[in-house]
Amino acid sequence: MAKSLLLICRRSPWSGPGAREALDIALAGGAFDLPISLLFLDDGVFQLQPRQQPAAIQQKDLTANLQALPLFGVEALYVARTDLDRRGLSAEHLTLPVTPLEDAALAALLNQHDLVITL
Amino acid sequence: MATLHLLSRSPFTDTSGASCLRLLGPGDGLLLTGDAVHALQPESQPFEVLRALPADRPLFALAEDLDARGLSTPDFVKAVDYAGFVELTLRFERTNSWL
Amino acid sequence: MKFAIALFAPPHAPSSRRALRFAEAVLAGGHQIVRLFFYQDAVHIASSLPVSAQDELDLPAAWRSFVTEHNLDGVVCIAAALRRGVLNGEEAQRYARASHNLEAPWELSGLGQLHEAAQDADRLICFGGD
Repeated sequence: MAKSLLLICRRSPWSGPGAREALDIALAGGAFDLPISLLFLDDGVFQLQPRQQPAAIQQKDLTANLQALPLFGVEALYVARTDLDRRGLSAEHLTLPVTPLEDAALAALLNQHDLVITL
Repeated sequence: MATLHLLSRSPFTDTSGASCLRLLGPGDGLLLTGDAVHALQPESQPFEVLRALPADRPLFALAEDLDARGLSTPDFVKAVDYAGFVELTLRFERTNSWL
Repeated sequence: MKFAIALFAPPHAPSSRRALRFAEAVLAGGHQIVRLFFYQDAVHIASSLPVSAQDELDLPAAWRSFVTEHNLDGVVCIAAALRRGVLNGEEAQRYARASHNLEAPWELSGLGQLHEAAQDADRLICFGGD
């Protein structure tokens, strides 16, 4: 059976290619039918912020890549509620359907996966 | 099914250590490398946080990084060399590196 | 045991040296490295162009000898490498660039190689940061 991978995304979409390159790991894994989950943590939650206008700084829209995740079979999407709260974001107004998790549930999420990559 | 967390950034300039502690569960280990060993500076705030961790979250530090910075190994930390580092990654089910 | 090792930081990052020492210890311990995967800024480790001062550690050279000596699979992510100007002869020709800076033992390939190695190995260990 294929090993499951949890990808923890901590980069804001505006901090260079890091966020996109982390997402590319998920999309590549999904294309190989591997069980992949994503956790948005720290500034990674900014990837889910609505009303982004990346064209204003000549960047491509990461939201489009994120919305492709389900098409690649990546449907287990989580976000740390603490990090949303700290940044004034609401779980009800994000660009993707993600499951908010309390801090106490994060260690268990990690330990449910065979592999973890934090970027 | 425990995780070994690997830190490399200074706790004084980066939030990875603080976030890591939020994800550290019972049985999970923490290995400090690079500038993350500055957390073992006696009397510092991160030193006190690490000292107060429950005993079921074992703490390790890479010996060469302690030596390079002139830090000694506190009694709540086990210093490891690279052979010990490899052994730790096998003792835990998975390693999570905070890049 | 079988290890997959992935690097994310540039050659001058302390974590890229630690990754090499770790990889050496893996082999010294009688274990196997199924693949080394270089992603993000770690693609610069595979460049043949960095010049180190004589009294400084030449990490790209140290990595190159390690991979060559042990006949390891050293894969550099092609998309990350192109973006950062790390090209082999074939890619330089494809994109009409005047020169290239990636040669054997390094190979350019896709992220599937990272997944394949992680699936095949008993442990995936990532190196990045400071």
